[in-house]
Amino acid sequence: MPRSWVDAILAAGAVPASYVPDASAGRTDLEEFTGADGVEDVALRTYAVADTRPLAPGTVAFLDGIEQWRVVGYGGVTPIVRGYVAAAVRRRGPDRRLRTAAEASREVAITRLESLAEPLRRALAASGVDLLELAEEDVGQPGRAIQAARRELERARLAQERELGERCLAALGPDEWLVVDGVLSDSAALSAHPRALGVIKSHGAQYFEGPELERALTLPAGHRTSVFQPKRRGARRAIYSWYLRLWPWEGNDLLYGLVRVEAHADAVTVARASALSAWLLRERSPLSTPDARWDRLLYAIHDVETYLRSRTPRDVIAPPGSRLPRTGS
Amino acid sequence: MIRPAEPGSPAPLGRVVATELKPATPHQFHFWTANETTIGIGAIVKVEGPGVGDQGPGRVVYGVVTDGFAYSDLATPLHDVVAAEGDPARAAESPSVRQEIRLWTAAVLRQQPEEPLQPVPLGAVYVASDADVAQALRMDAYVTGAQPSGIPVGLYTAAGLEAPVYLDADFLLGPEAAHLNISGVSGLATKTSAVEFLLASIFEHFPAHKGRVAALCFNVKGPDLCFLDRPGALDDADRRRYERLGITPQPFERVRYYAPFKADGVNLNTLRTHPDLVGDVEPLVWGLSEVLDFAEVLLNRDDIDAKADAFIDFLSDRVLNKEFDDGFGGSHRVQTFADLNGLFRAIFDGLELSGRSDMWRTHHIATIRKVRNRLSNISTRCKGLVTDDGPSSDLPWGRFEDRTVYVVDVANVDPLGQDLVFARAVSKLREHLERRDLGVEAVVVFVDELNKYAPGDGPETYVRKMLLDISERGRYLGLVLFAAEQFRSQVHRRVVGNAGTTLFGRMDADELATPGYHVLSPAVKIKLATLPIGELMVRHPHFTQPIFVRFPRPAVLRGRDGVERFPPAADLPFEEAVVRQLARLDRRIRPNQVKDLIAERRPDDVRRALAAVRRTRPDDALAYFRRMLGARVAPATAPAREAVPPLNPISEEPY
Ligand SMILES: Nc1ncnc2c1ncn2[C@@H]1O[C@H](COP(=O)(O)OP(=O)(O)O)[C@@H](O)[C@H]1O
Ligand SMILES: [Mg+2]
Repeated sequence: MPRSWVDAILAAGAVPASYVPDASAGRTDLEEFTGADGVEDVALRTYAVADTRPLAPGTVAFLDGIEQWRVVGYGGVTPIVRGYVAAAVRRRGPDRRLRTAAEASREVAITRLESLAEPLRRALAASGVDLLELAEEDVGQPGRAIQAARRELERARLAQERELGERCLAALGPDEWLVVDGVLSDSAALSAHPRALGVIKSHGAQYFEGPELERALTLPAGHRTSVFQPKRRGARRAIYSWYLRLWPWEGNDLLYGLVRVEAHADAVTVARASALSAWLLRERSPLSTPDARWDRLLYAIHDVETYLRSRTPRDVIAPPGSRLPRTGS
Repeated sequence: MIRPAEPGSPAPLGRVVATELKPATPHQFHFWTANETTIGIGAIVKVEGPGVGDQGPGRVVYGVVTDGFAYSDLATPLHDVVAAEGDPARAAESPSVRQEIRLWTAAVLRQQPEEPLQPVPLGAVYVASDADVAQALRMDAYVTGAQPSGIPVGLYTAAGLEAPVYLDADFLLGPEAAHLNISGVSGLATKTSAVEFLLASIFEHFPAHKGRVAALCFNVKGPDLCFLDRPGALDDADRRRYERLGITPQPFERVRYYAPFKADGVNLNTLRTHPDLVGDVEPLVWGLSEVLDFAEVLLNRDDIDAKADAFIDFLSDRVLNKEFDDGFGGSHRVQTFADLNGLFRAIFDGLELSGRSDMWRTHHIATIRKVRNRLSNISTRCKGLVTDDGPSSDLPWGRFEDRTVYVVDVANVDPLGQDLVFARAVSKLREHLERRDLGVEAVVVFVDELNKYAPGDGPETYVRKMLLDISERGRYLGLVLFAAEQFRSQVHRRVVGNAGTTLFGRMDADELATPGYHVLSPAVKIKLATLPIGELMVRHPHFTQPIFVRFPRPAVLRGRDGVERFPPAADLPFEEAVVRQLARLDRRIRPNQVKDLIAERRPDDVRRALAAVRRTRPDDALAYFRRMLGARVAPATAPAREAVPPLNPISEEPY
């Protein structure tokens, strides 16, 4: 068995560490207020979809990814982070069971080589591990460095998901759909595919203000908004989107049970936005508890995530042990 | 991803899993399988630890599945309700099926190496093959080798596999352990059938070095064991199982039937009375001396009475078959119940005449009366078994033959008589086995309805003491008890406890709830409560855990079918019955000769002469019969009536 790269850098003088910082910063918000153009209606409206006949594709593929990380050592005050990303597509056929169709994973070391002593640099290079470099301005303060490493890892995860999703599209049967956890608009292929859906659970970006925002965020259960086209900065791809409320939010919070759906920017999408929404409403069952995000996490996506977590190498997951100083030798 | 199995190496069907809460231990482990799997409760599996097949000391563990669990990732049942919005019909419409698991618990049967004993490794789980089953049950130690002693008991059937399961004769029939007990509900547990099958298996597989073996079966219920020499219906599956077990599917070649007479003393008290079959039923008739030997049986059925015991001992030692002076001037030679009655009368008369004394030779008159009552009681209640007068006809003590079944039909005998038959038959077996002159080295005694004869509660009886004695000491003698009962919990603990081998057929749920079964998992109990006909659960000293097997129908005619195919004959009139009995002994005899001879004779005299012929087996039966009848001729005229029956008190008063 070859020694792991972590052992190699420790042998080369890195100070061992085992540290998973609090995710206090939360998920990085990739987007902020951008605005949107009406597609289905000029001003945002709401539609009841509970009585619409749901689209019921026989086979659906679900794509999700995970990331795991922890600081495994320090060279001076520069953290060396071990990161792991994985993505999988699980297909659901007529027997309603999910089976893995494709998966990919990648282990990376994240640090800034230039900030490390020569032996450490050599050890890292010799170990052959994939290296993600932090920018110079990120490594002055360890706290910043760790946040930057986290963003690097998220990028790596999204890239992996995108790559797997595109690979999966190529193999998608004529009546099969692909449901992605997150946005489609990252990928040209995914955005352009007539049977790909993005289901977004976190609402970092806002597309509306005033009464329209209120309409969107107070959507009753079993309702959707009009289809709109998010405005993008720069050369972002065209995509159609709408909000859908899976569970009644009253008594919880505005975002409870709220998802945003992305689909191909096309008149067909507008025509079947209600049927697609009704389908997603059916996906509320079974519940994805005990996950805390169960109000907007589809069971099938939860299943992909559970699969990926159970496949994660044991030593990537931080040992749950205490952080008391070690005693004895 | 499912990887196709490499040729020659079977694909595992499961994987051992262990958590802190459900760890693998040296005696138990858990494993999961695909949701669709061929195994179930009772299946035998093999675990291969890391290193098996490679170099290095791999650990192999055999286990039997004792419990199964299925669950999904549902956090609480309430969440299913929420997702279906309270409508059960909608629950089935969920677009995804939850992840679910089939988790099994298995009890360890055997570990290799056996030392050091360690927790079961977290390895791959395979279906056990034929050879694995032999290993798992430690049958390798006695099925092969220089002196194999395997007795097939049935086929272990699971996951499409059928593997023969053997009992060890040394542990079934002694000397290491012995006895077999089988329980389960009537008509579904196949208790009687299983014993019949197992006897056939024993007769065919009893190891040569252990000598000769016979069986003595008490038929206590209807026609159960009356047709063991007749072939029964088998189907192809049965025949295949016989072949797999190496047993010839045929009825018993040598069966001897014994039955007492009915009260008339000439018709046999059995359901095997069809003219084609009745010829080989021997009468079972005992006289005073046979009864006196076991008179204890009669006494302590209700109470233990040392004084009565002492008086009976006195009668057997000092009075029976001896010239005896009653002390009142009379001399007696007591050989029959009638003679004994004469003695009793002389004693009572003598005491009355001689004055006020209540004692006769240290015995109190009350004790004497009690013994007389008990003895006359048996001679009336068991008239056909106990002759009031005259000699006996008994089992062939000392001449038992190899691989022969002796059936004693006591189904219609009074309980007191049944006790007497058990007590005497078993004691005789024991006596002869102790002297090594029975004719065989081992005898299986089959007693059905054991709860009647060795109940867990109730008074201490002679029969129960005797059954306890066999169960505790029989294994050294080759005296082996096979017993059956519906409810094991109702049988004396030590009698069932001493059975080295225990079989269970379909069990009653209430019975399974009694404390004796708490070692069984709820799943095994459910399996027992729903066990199909023809399947048994086996406990045997070599098997660490109970094992389920399937056995073929016995190759003999079922009692129920037997009485249909061979309907019992109606009772013959006295003369005809005598003719039949004599003709059996000597084919030359013609009915009219006999009828002429016995016309106008007293039935008792005829019975006595008949018994003498039966015992002596002379060349010329008729001549001997004539001689035994003697010159005594019943009075030509009917005896004078001793009293005029009273008239009904009809009043002539005209009201
Ligand atoms: N191995 C077997 N396979 C199928 N049926 C059987 C088998 N053994 C017995 N039977 C049937 O089961 C029934 C009950 O058997 P029996 O031995 O009389 O049960 P028990 O003695 O427990 O009352 C009988 O009708 C018999 O034919
Ligand atoms: Mg029976």
